Amino acid sequence: MTHRKTAALLSIIPGLGQFYNKQWVKGFVFLFLAACYFIAFLDFLNIGLWGIVTLGTEVPRDHSIFLLVNGVISLIVVAIGLGFYVLNFYDAYQNGNKRDMGLQLATLREQYHNVIDKGFPYLMVGPGFLLLVFVVIFPIIFMLLLSFTNYNLYNSPPNKLVDWVGFQTFIEMFTLDIWRETFISVFAWTIIWTFTATTLQIGVGIFLAVLLNQKDLKFKGLMRTLLILPWAVPAFVSILIFSGLFNDTFGAINNDILAAVGIDSIPWMTDPFYTKIALIFIQSWLGFPFVMAMTTGVLQSIPGELYEAATVDGASTWDKFRKITLPMILFTTAPILITQYTFNFNNFNVIYLFNNGGPAIPDQNAGGTDILISWIYNLTMTSAQYSKAAAVTVMLSIIIVSVSLFYFRKTKSFKDEGMI
Amino acid sequence: MKKLLALPLTFALAASALAACGPQEDSTSTGGKKEASSKKPEKLVIWEDQEKGMGTKDAIKKFEEKHGIKVELKEIPMLDQQEKLRLDGPAKKGPDVITTPHDRIGPLAIEGLIAPIEVSDDVTKLYTESSINALTYDGNLYGLPKSTETPVFIYNKKMMDKAPESLEDLMAFSKGDKGGAQYGYLANWTDFYFAHGVLSGFGGYVFKDDNGTLDPKDVGLANEGAVEGLDYITSWYNEGLFPKGIIGEKAGSTIDGLFTEGKAASVMNGPWSFQGYKDAGIDIGVAPMPKLPNGEYVKTFIGVKGYNVSAFSENQEWAAKLVEFITNEENSKVRYEKTAEIPPVVSLMEDPIIADNEAAKAVAVQSERGVPMPNIPEMAEVWAPAANALQLSATGKSKPQAALDSAVKTIGQNIEANHSK
Repeated sequence: MTHRKTAALLSIIPGLGQFYNKQWVKGFVFLFLAACYFIAFLDFLNIGLWGIVTLGTEVPRDHSIFLLVNGVISLIVVAIGLGFYVLNFYDAYQNGNKRDMGLQLATLREQYHNVIDKGFPYLMVGPGFLLLVFVVIFPIIFMLLLSFTNYNLYNSPPNKLVDWVGFQTFIEMFTLDIWRETFISVFAWTIIWTFTATTLQIGVGIFLAVLLNQKDLKFKGLMRTLLILPWAVPAFVSILIFSGLFNDTFGAINNDILAAVGIDSIPWMTDPFYTKIALIFIQSWLGFPFVMAMTTGVLQSIPGELYEAATVDGASTWDKFRKITLPMILFTTAPILITQYTFNFNNFNVIYLFNNGGPAIPDQNAGGTDILISWIYNLTMTSAQYSKAAAVTVMLSIIIVSVSLFYFRKTKSFKDEGMI
Repeated sequence: MKKLLALPLTFALAASALAACGPQEDSTSTGGKKEASSKKPEKLVIWEDQEKGMGTKDAIKKFEEKHGIKVELKEIPMLDQQEKLRLDGPAKKGPDVITTPHDRIGPLAIEGLIAPIEVSDDVTKLYTESSINALTYDGNLYGLPKSTETPVFIYNKKMMDKAPESLEDLMAFSKGDKGGAQYGYLANWTDFYFAHGVLSGFGGYVFKDDNGTLDPKDVGLANEGAVEGLDYITSWYNEGLFPKGIIGEKAGSTIDGLFTEGKAASVMNGPWSFQGYKDAGIDIGVAPMPKLPNGEYVKTFIGVKGYNVSAFSENQEWAAKLVEFITNEENSKVRYEKTAEIPPVVSLMEDPIIADNEAAKAVAVQSERGVPMPNIPEMAEVWAPAANALQLSATGKSKPQAALDSAVKTIGQNIEANHSK
């Protein structure tokens, strides 16, 4: 038998392969870590793996949701353990292979330097990555798994156990009339909302930034400060104030502004069409300062020679904007602009705080301006449909992730070659 | 090579791990709970509503002296207690007694977060029948009532000499001089909580009451009476007596604003608003709701706050004793004096301390005329569709009959989708 096979086979117990390769310290470290792993986690893994498969068998001893949490953590711990185990095989096999080829194995000192030199980035990233797994990935897996259960009011611990139901929750989303019908109309408005509100806020932001960047403009600082203000005031406060300003009977918009120019009262809060207009306006107001600030930064970095050259070639101001300024802005800020779209797709605050998705419309389960996220919030929070909430969140995430990924890959910003 | 080796090994490991998995079966661990609970505990924990602790302190001190059990009082906002109990209960950090509005009792009982209590008839007789009904779910009593509240008629004494007898008088007043105010009367009748009194006064109902059990399949919100009620509500909007700006989510705060600015002579609101109105410098008078045009009383929703025993408590019997003690006549009276929340204790309703207080008397009288808010979980599906119907009718987008029919249909669908067991 070759050294590499023997070493790999002995590695079934971590460390033995390394011992066989006469790398005593490394072997001892592997053995020690493996022992620690089993001593520390065996009980936890036992309950965790049992729990995630069965979700409990007996009330009130078993609390399905806690078991599910334990189970997910166990799976992560197992994955880390397996990764370590594979590393153990790989190391023994590689070093056995070296022996087969008659090469000298690295001494302890060389191994140490190897780890420090080549493994340095990994050593530094490791703890952060581990933290990330538990803080970011763990909740996502938990939510994903929740969507495959029947967790709702009537299957709630501690009184009842939660069960795995597979795709049933997803199927119900499309087979139950009340969910499907409203879903379609709400989805349509969500798309319109995302595109109009975001495009408007980006357009206004870029326009104002270019305007403020004109060389001979006076009081630039003051104007910039004023235009940043909507961003400085917490959106939460602004939206509530706007909801007062737009009040049909008492709001300043109808009573003072529109009345002054002789326009009749507009039903901002009671007619879905006007509520939508108001919402889009408010979101543009809240969103443009950020785009403007970002664009201002980009504008500073565009080299003046480009414009000088363009002037020499006889380009008009509009040509310069279209051919130089705009592409430069979009190239630099595209990733952030895309996130603006995804943000508005799920912009719960403005919808919920302005009119709580209202006004009412006949024969529908959602309000006239409810976007997916606010509709789902209302439906699930009133009826304690936790698994449905999870299922819809999964579907929303899939939409957002795929659209974002598609556009992130399309923009030039993520390709290695520069703009200029 | 390494893959070939690793794969079967992984499976072998996983299989062996799973086979040996699971908690150690120990059948005796769950059986002994009842016996343990009658043993005197060292300490009980009670979660009281925020800023209401001063009303319970004396009673707790007396309980500690009487039984030699330490009682720890924690103030937690009442509406957060359910959420907190869900996590703290299983972790054994939870309380023995919690405070909850009665309409959450159904969901809490289904989730198994609160436990039923057993008390003698002498105890239940202390309280008004409606308040005990409110705390009963599925034939079991889940706690004892602490206080009751319901919307009443509140007026500005500078603009109105005394409360009108009927809503017709009130409407005439609103069309007339309004006591100098911009609006004679304002009520958030696009919110089902407030509108229910009118709809049900005309004969509508949410769920059919079948000897104390509510039937979620029989929704009476589109019957003749309910439609008549909504017709009546809509007439207030059509006559221009209620402004269009008090529709939807922000209506309540707008009404409060108009009343405290002296622009409205009277409003419909609950006891929670009294202090704010007084702080705003309004000299308020409080009365039961004026009668409906058909001569019936406005049957407002009654809310009952109660003390309930946590299902996670290891001393449920003693927790029930504590609940019984702090809600008895004597301690309820003390709590009323300190917090001004009206206890639904029958003898106290006649007591001068409530009977001579105009506001308390009004709430007490109106409470007897109202109906308890349904405490079954299906109620969650009623609020939004009902409010939609009210809004659509008030803004003239639907006729009352059509609006209510559509609401009842939606309620039925939602109940079917979310509450089929």
